[in-house]
Amino acid sequence: MVASRRTPWVALRRAVGPLLWLLGLLVPILLNGSWISIMAIFAIYAMVALSQDIVLGRAGMYDMGHAVYFGVGAYVTAILNTQFGWPIFVTWPVAIVAAALIGALLSAPIVKLRGDYLLVATIGFNIIFVLALGNNVANLTGGPDGIFGVGVPHLFGWALSSQGTLFYLDWLALAAVLLLMRNLERSRIGRVFRYLKEDELAATTLGVNARNYKILAFAIGAGIAGAAGTLFAVQLASVSPGSFVFTESVTLFAIVLVGGQASIPGVLLGTALMFVVPQVFRGLAQYRYFAFGIAMIVVMVLRPQGIWPRGRAR
Amino acid sequence: MDVVLQQFINGVTVGGFYALIALGYTMVYGVLKLINFAHGDLCILAAFIGLSVLTSGIGGANAGALLLAAAFIVAAVAIGIAGAVLEFTAYRPLRKAHRLSAVVSALGASMLIENGIMLIWSPEVKVFPSNLLPDISWKMGTASISFVQVMIILGSLILMAGLYFYVHHTRFGTAIRASAIDQDAARLMGINVNRVIASVFVLGPALGAVGGLFVGLYYREAYFNMGWIYGLNAFIAAIIGGIGNIPGAMLGGLLLGLFNAFAAGYVSSSWQEAITFALLIAILLVRPTGILGERVAEKI
Repeated sequence: MVASRRTPWVALRRAVGPLLWLLGLLVPILLNGSWISIMAIFAIYAMVALSQDIVLGRAGMYDMGHAVYFGVGAYVTAILNTQFGWPIFVTWPVAIVAAALIGALLSAPIVKLRGDYLLVATIGFNIIFVLALGNNVANLTGGPDGIFGVGVPHLFGWALSSQGTLFYLDWLALAAVLLLMRNLERSRIGRVFRYLKEDELAATTLGVNARNYKILAFAIGAGIAGAAGTLFAVQLASVSPGSFVFTESVTLFAIVLVGGQASIPGVLLGTALMFVVPQVFRGLAQYRYFAFGIAMIVVMVLRPQGIWPRGRAR
Repeated sequence: MDVVLQQFINGVTVGGFYALIALGYTMVYGVLKLINFAHGDLCILAAFIGLSVLTSGIGGANAGALLLAAAFIVAAVAIGIAGAVLEFTAYRPLRKAHRLSAVVSALGASMLIENGIMLIWSPEVKVFPSNLLPDISWKMGTASISFVQVMIILGSLILMAGLYFYVHHTRFGTAIRASAIDQDAARLMGINVNRVIASVFVLGPALGAVGGLFVGLYYREAYFNMGWIYGLNAFIAAIIGGIGNIPGAMLGGLLLGLFNAFAAGYVSSSWQEAITFALLIAILLVRPTGILGERVAEKI
């Protein structure tokens, strides 16, 4: 009886997400150019924030250097496209694999560190990464100015050059990441991540290889961030070290905590608060981070679990 | 040989203010297991407050030494109060929450202070006038030590010795150490742990304020977002010495200062931060508890 009364309500709640996504398809038709690009940027950062959530909110590792993997994806696409003339869609899988590999390689030695030490090590990676980009490593990264002139993606001879078509590309990619997150949540891997987060000791006694799964969490998170990096390079037609600095990692970290760990609506809401709301108050730009600082404290004090915490496990 | 001596002097100077700032991180981490990300920004806020006092012209042209002392006292008191306010508003309500909530609160506080500085003192680099300190230096062979270096080295040594004495030889210092080891047991022994935590949030930032003003006087500039990098370096110093360990932070600061001074001679300056962080990661991998070991009980 209880179940039958609740079913329509639950079904409606589950339909809200997909409906909002479908509504998003109307953005290029209904809104003007600047809002189309704001929503495109939102979709890209939502992907990065969701990937940060895999490492931080789901596997429970304090990763404060996630902008590195976002940057790897963006730079791989920019370098391959501008210097070697590869089409964007060919660079995309390379960017994803490169970011995932770097995620695995960087995390392999440090996943044994607990909590705060891991956090500090990942900050170190981020700072070294940005310095390397700025110092024009191997004459590929273009130094402090970065790389300009990233081309537009072509699909079957059709150039995705308008803001609207790029938005659809980003919006589709976001849908793919959301589906992946949903599947991850229901999969064995997702459950192992959660188990490791809740009680690593218990998980290892049940035969979970903690180290391998932690590296896997980093690799998956980094791969998704790398995929978003490609889209970011295309959206701005350029990349520069400033987009991947340590404070960007802090913002991503805060999005997950402010929104709600391991909560998809929470992370999306957090991304919207950090990247869309400021656009509404652009006249007050200089107060933006001042207000963010206050907001972060207030949200944490009032809702330590985040604005939209994860619901009970179904 | 003189080059080595000069680098040593420079290294000890830089190490002095790193150590002073590191003490705030390590004391807070000791009692709360919280990385107070706002600490670096508090210290740099002190540099701005100190600069405003020094350039206020109060006391006329002959105020010299008195004005300098006033700048340090005003900065230390103001930042000590700011630390206590921060603890009370941003951290205390989260004492029982998930520890990452407090970390985000600290990050928020850091953003708030950094951008507060920007709104008050403008985003431009503030230059410390050259006439704030006597322009004296003493020659030692071809190496030399300037007035500001002597002031920083002596000042940080005195403050560190004072803190060491306070923490190890007074009743309240014992209470601080007891709270760092086991808060519940300390509470059962009749220690007012809330007061200990509040005092740590006054002492740490007040010492850091002196460190921050040293940074400004030494490099003769201050800009609103420099708290991050000096904070991170000081935090690395705390980890090198063993976070949670007060003498460790002093040792770590001096070692990091010397490391930076000597590494700078051999590596291009554009990579200098990178080697500091590479050193940090190497230490974390080899000996995560730092040189003097961590005095933080691991909870299982």
